Amino acid sequence: MSSPKISRAGREITKGATTADKILLIALIIISVSGFIFIKKAFPEGTDVKIEVNGKPAYLLPLNVDKTVSVKGINGDTIVEIKDRKVRINESPCPNKICMHDGWIQQGALICLPNRVIVTVTGNKDRDNRKIDAISG
Amino acid sequence: MQSQDKYRIALLSAYAVAIHSFESLLPSPVPWLRLGIANIITLATLVLYGFRAAMMVTLIRVTLSSLFIGTFLGPGFVMSFGGGVSSTAAMGIIYSIFPRLFGPIGLSLIGALFHNIAQLFLAYILFVQKIEPILIVSPILILLGTLTGVINGFIGGLLIKNIPKKSP
Repeated sequence: MSSPKISRAGREITKGATTADKILLIALIIISVSGFIFIKKAFPEGTDVKIEVNGKPAYLLPLNVDKTVSVKGINGDTIVEIKDRKVRINESPCPNKICMHDGWIQQGALICLPNRVIVTVTGNKDRDNRKIDAISG
Repeated sequence: MQSQDKYRIALLSAYAVAIHSFESLLPSPVPWLRLGIANIITLATLVLYGFRAAMMVTLIRVTLSSLFIGTFLGPGFVMSFGGGVSSTAAMGIIYSIFPRLFGPIGLSLIGALFHNIAQLFLAYILFVQKIEPILIVSPILILLGTLTGVINGFIGGLLIKNIPKKSP
């Protein structure tokens, strides 16, 4: 009677779910969360900023030197800013601006699909593997 | 195919096209992140009228909505086509093999998962061609797909319960 609305809604949802539904839901949450953690660990803090346009490398910049570059994508200029060992996309002509909302990153990648600009923070390990990278395209 | 089936498919497709087109007008914080509300119609069609009807509704929805939105044969269309077809196929296969194992929520989760897998795969082949960015975004997309999948499955379940099977 005095139970809050949310728990009522929760009960309503679980009432219609089979056991397999619940197992699948829990499995998916566990897989995605652990995948998220695992992938963060798989991309260690890097030392270089690699900027690619349309699959081709455009810039390779050190992460410890503050710099702002303008990258020409297919729809216009994407402004990439490096500051305090972090990198962000400052301005982008894409409609969603998701790359800008990602903010400052220290590892991983910023991807602007509409403008085909990919900014990756790479480490020394990547430098050794560059030959393999080139083959896989 | 009976004329009543055609009528049902036409009606359900009209709902799905309307929902899909409306959804594309909503601002999305993440590209690719769509609520997938149109999947509710696919889910209800699958459970009520079978796999063939569901696949038909999906194909009509994806093609017609892309014509309305103006993305026909563009990259957005390819993504939406691949995602829609594979999620419907996955839901249909699972539902016909294990009809009682999963409820609407489970089916919707399967649909959302395969929608995301297909889109990530297409994005890899067509646009990114690099595995790292795909690996970075996939857990986020799968998690968000799981959340929207539960909501869609719940609404789909309500719809299935409240549409009498005999009605057109």
